[in-house]
Amino acid sequence: MFVYKSLAHPELVGNYVQPFTLDERLTHARQAVKKLGATIPWIVDPMDNRLKHALGDRANSEYIIDPTGTIVRKRAWSDPVAVRRDLEDLVGQVAKVTKPEDLGLPVVLTTAEPATNVEVARVSRLGMFPLIAQPKIAQGGMPFYVKLRCEAELTVIDDGKGKLYLGFHLDPFYQVHWNNLSKPLRFEFEVPDEIRLSETSGEAPRVKAESDVNPREFLIDVAQWPEDKPIRLTVTYFACTENDCREVTQVYEVHRRRDADGGAAPGAAFRGLTSEAMLKLLLSGDKNDDGQLTRSELNSVQRPRFADFDINADGILDKNELQKLADRTNAQALRDF
Amino acid sequence: MKCSAMFGILLAVIVLPAITWAQEPKRSEAEFVTDHPTVGDPLPDLVVYDPNGQEVKTSDLRGHYTVLTFGCLT
Repeated sequence: MFVYKSLAHPELVGNYVQPFTLDERLTHARQAVKKLGATIPWIVDPMDNRLKHALGDRANSEYIIDPTGTIVRKRAWSDPVAVRRDLEDLVGQVAKVTKPEDLGLPVVLTTAEPATNVEVARVSRLGMFPLIAQPKIAQGGMPFYVKLRCEAELTVIDDGKGKLYLGFHLDPFYQVHWNNLSKPLRFEFEVPDEIRLSETSGEAPRVKAESDVNPREFLIDVAQWPEDKPIRLTVTYFACTENDCREVTQVYEVHRRRDADGGAAPGAAFRGLTSEAMLKLLLSGDKNDDGQLTRSELNSVQRPRFADFDINADGILDKNELQKLADRTNAQALRDF
Repeated sequence: MKCSAMFGILLAVIVLPAITWAQEPKRSEAEFVTDHPTVGDPLPDLVVYDPNGQEVKTSDLRGHYTVLTFGCLT
């Protein structure tokens, strides 16, 4: 049974953004069922993330429950081979092992091409963490066609000083775009005296292309932000289809508090990242600090790709191989994202 | 394969976990596995939903073996 929970990596493939409502989560899950073609049932965690929290807050964990409702296996990172072994232990061997290729599943990457691929300056936000930005959802109100992602440097969360990122992302589920002939998105903070920001309002820059779907992003310098003072933010934008543009005004309450369920948006963070920084990231799994990665220093997701990157097949990802991987990833990031 | 798709795969298998390591509090797999609820504990009794919005109680999963997988679609 697959568990749909808050996205671990919003904005990565397909530009999916964190849903704000249960209905949006259910829509994600239904689309995943359809796209992946799997017959495995899904359950959807409610917006308070109760199942994720109750079961340890891991992005990719796995549990086996026995017929009495007791946990009989638990691992931090799902491992299909290990699960098969577990089930053979618990239930017995099957006459014929079903392989993925037997199922005729569609091979799907959740890519969604932008309506118009235009250059819009992106903001790098490496090392930032998501903040809690509560949308004020009105009963019967318009959907949040555009969703705010708010991130900040750790110094903002800890001390109320540093860089604050605002990203207004179109939710691909609503199939709207920016019409750049209409007024650009505009936001405004309501800030009491004790909060000091470099800007208290902003307007997205004009984009030459008639339409696009790239996010509108801002970096704000925070000079002072008491922990107990949330900031009210109002955003106004036009959500457009081919035939119609709707003016939308929506409100958020932004807290100086990390959103532990916000996931990491690394696709965005890579923009503007140097290959040196990319290399550093790759080496963050280097447990013995020797500047190389062995198979055992990769986790179970990375491990199956080890051979692809071990160019000289010596069982070690040495500095040269890691640098090539970093350069390649970085070059593709610059070209494709 | 399109570069963007290939890059997506690269991110997913190599760099994403690195970012996750960098951004999540470090807790070892061993710690996670021994944290409660753990093996021998009952699955917490919670109400969640099926994709059509119908309530599902985790206690309804009793009666057969169930594998619960938290995944990273994105």
